Amino acid sequence: MKHVLLITLLTFSSTAIFAQHDTIAITGAKAYLQPGQPPVEDATILVVKGRVQAAGVGLVVPPGMRIVEAKGRIVTPGLMNSASQLGLVETGTPDTTDSAVTTGPLGASFDVQYALNPNSTLLPVARADGLTRAMVVPVASATPPFDGRGAVLRLSEGPDILDLPQAAVVAEVGGMVAPKSGGSRSAQWMLLRSALDAARRAAVPSTLHKEDDKSTLLSPANVAALVPVVKRRVPLVIVAYRESDLRQAISLVDDYKIRVVILGAEEGWRVADLLSSRKIAVVLDPYASTPTTYDQMGARLDNAALLDRAGVVISFKAAFVHVSYNAGIAIREGAGVAVANGLPWSHALKALTVNPAETWGIEGHYGTLQPGMDADLVLWDGDPLEPMSAPAMVLVRGRQVSLETRQTLLEKRYRPGMAGDPVPPGYR
Amino acid sequence: MQELTMSDLSHPKRRNLRLVRVFPGILICLVVSSVVAQAPALPNPFPSTYKPLPRTDTLIDNATVLDGIGHRLLNAGVLLHAGKIIAIGQHLQAPPGTKTIDARGGFVTPGLVDVHSHLGDFAAPYTLRDEKVSDVNEESSPNSAEVWALHSIRVQDPQFARVRAGGVTTLQVLPGSSDLFGGRGVVLKNVPAVTVQQMEFPGAMPSLKMACGENPKYTFGEKGQFPSSEMGNVAGYRQAWIEASEYRRRWDDYYAKQDSSLRPPARDLKLETLAAVLRGQILVDMHCYRADEMAVVMDVAKEFGYKIAAFHHAVEAYKIVPLLKENHVCVAVWADWWGFKVEAYDAVRANAAFVEAGGGCIMLHSDAPISGERLTLDAALAMGAGHRAGVDIPEERAIEWLTINPAKSLQLDGQIGSLEPGKNADVVVWSGDPFSVYTRANIVFIDGAIVFDRNDPSRQATSDFEVGQPAIERPQ
Repeated sequence: MKHVLLITLLTFSSTAIFAQHDTIAITGAKAYLQPGQPPVEDATILVVKGRVQAAGVGLVVPPGMRIVEAKGRIVTPGLMNSASQLGLVETGTPDTTDSAVTTGPLGASFDVQYALNPNSTLLPVARADGLTRAMVVPVASATPPFDGRGAVLRLSEGPDILDLPQAAVVAEVGGMVAPKSGGSRSAQWMLLRSALDAARRAAVPSTLHKEDDKSTLLSPANVAALVPVVKRRVPLVIVAYRESDLRQAISLVDDYKIRVVILGAEEGWRVADLLSSRKIAVVLDPYASTPTTYDQMGARLDNAALLDRAGVVISFKAAFVHVSYNAGIAIREGAGVAVANGLPWSHALKALTVNPAETWGIEGHYGTLQPGMDADLVLWDGDPLEPMSAPAMVLVRGRQVSLETRQTLLEKRYRPGMAGDPVPPGYR
Repeated sequence: MQELTMSDLSHPKRRNLRLVRVFPGILICLVVSSVVAQAPALPNPFPSTYKPLPRTDTLIDNATVLDGIGHRLLNAGVLLHAGKIIAIGQHLQAPPGTKTIDARGGFVTPGLVDVHSHLGDFAAPYTLRDEKVSDVNEESSPNSAEVWALHSIRVQDPQFARVRAGGVTTLQVLPGSSDLFGGRGVVLKNVPAVTVQQMEFPGAMPSLKMACGENPKYTFGEKGQFPSSEMGNVAGYRQAWIEASEYRRRWDDYYAKQDSSLRPPARDLKLETLAAVLRGQILVDMHCYRADEMAVVMDVAKEFGYKIAAFHHAVEAYKIVPLLKENHVCVAVWADWWGFKVEAYDAVRANAAFVEAGGGCIMLHSDAPISGERLTLDAALAMGAGHRAGVDIPEERAIEWLTINPAKSLQLDGQIGSLEPGKNADVVVWSGDPFSVYTRANIVFIDGAIVFDRNDPSRQATSDFEVGQPAIERPQ
């Protein structure tokens, strides 16, 4: 049986009809198959059992596959937001917010994975903007400088959204959070080093006196959470902006041989070569242009371009209310802003896909359209970095997901022309 | 060609005429106040000292022109003379002494007008002290009608330059939304300055910022103070308008007697602003998210006879477009902010497009500088969402959301907001289509003077704050 699905600009039509694992052949695509390379014209991508089976030019489509004609439009890997609170937040009220543990003993050991809400209304909005993966990081803990452990999400429909638990331990430094560490950022770095020292001791099996370790300032559970960091199994995320803090992070890498990811790095361009040489990845807000705080004095719109040019692996987070609510559109438009300020387009796409995959340790199954990878892909109705564009089709792990959201359903209910309807909108 | 000068707009008669034209709904109220009360024009003790920057007559030529009033002109030019637009169209001749800018491949639009900004009163950098006490909200009382945003503005806020580079030439700076009555807003020309009076838009009407919903309710309710509910909010508005009506009556009686030997009633800063609203001398800009709240507030305005210029952050405007039209109330929105609080949960990205399609008045505002730097991209987001929801808004219409519509809301459409002969030469030359993420404002004019030129470092003003900051300078 051979279906031909003509993808048109979707006006309120549900696409949930193909909910099972599809076998799909996307033909005639302008496909970004190799990271950093120009697109392949007239490409065919074969999706079988959730994975990319083959991708390239002149592929024969086996019988029985559903064919989606891309008609020359752009196909990219599904996008990834590199620092959000998706799955942990809903309306901003405390009862729907699970992104931080602000009292109690949990610090570095706090783990967001148990709070993830696959029925969050934020997830369909992000999906409909082409987002298929997201790093989820905790914020603002009770035991500074540590916020806890983050997780990678896949934006599948249904309950199965946890892609990689405990993907990183997050710490936060800088002037705006210094009061929580007693009032000085120096205390933040001392606490960080003390914790890493304790984790080093705890990581050595012969040291059997963990409970007796009086030199640590952290509880054993919080120290244990840092052991994978000192063993280089997961990165330590440091939220930091100011050059002096970035240099402290670089020293930490030199002294402890750990993997560090910087989240923020408004002044990263000032130490780009040092970050690059230590293989410190940076997650940045591409809109940051202004000294929002004293820590961000050196913010500039070409930060992404300058870091990328120095060889730093960059990826994107969103600012302000967009962090999770517009986790998709904010980073793809933001990537466009970075391109407008000097970042090559193909590098911007890497920063939305393969770079965050590498940064968060899921590059084995997500980030490119190479055979064997999870079939996260987006067929776009235009340039994905343009705010006017949107996905025409999104696959997450080979399944076509609905592009319907609370927002599109409300738009349907209140569309122009319905104003004179005597039947209240609630019946629509 | 009729030229409107600044004194035209500041003249009370002219202003009343303009009000009537734009907002017929308040005709009666104005007639009553001018015949019976004879209240004098609203004084401004902090008058503008704005002077245009040095300027050269300029022809911007060979561009795609979006004129701000619904037209798209191809291969067209805009001629600027003595700070005004004097001609627009194809094959314009540059008079002797006129500089020509070849804008081939680029677009030209009116300068953008941001009707909701906090630059200067919520100045960067933000500090920990601002978390408790900041210049954007006077939080000592839910009725702070006596305060003026003008008095909070730090002109050295580096964000003014960022949004100038994004094409914003006029901005209304408002107090925040913690209070029911937040205080007066002020309209600024986005020029580098040393005092706020040098930025003040000459003759512009002040506004009164008011707020619905969660912000006043939680700001005061969580402190155990009034108001602590939505119904408390509305009671707070109505009680204040009752007092203001009485205050106005006392003063109107005094004016009517025209007897200089009489002792005038006692002045009250709070009630003075509210009475000016009741006289139509100040329009209300109201922070209001939800459709049901907006409907209630429009009835309060009718009850007391004042005019709401616009609902700001009106995420549910799309639910009540006919009602907004009927009340002649414009709405100012973000393109895509939603969900961060309960009252923002029903936001839709096609909001602006739906209001436009329903014949309502729509503006896009920044609120935060991250949006102020790229208002045209917010418009693009709204256009894209509209398209997918079945409503196509052409670019020449969408640009009105950022130009003529906010100019009308500010009662300044006689001077700014479109590229028409006689208007102020507030103009942006874009590197390409302004609704594309890859496009940037190349040259920005205010009153015919270049205030920003991306290719000329001598025309890129920085704030004093940024001077001598090692973190900003490029390392060797």
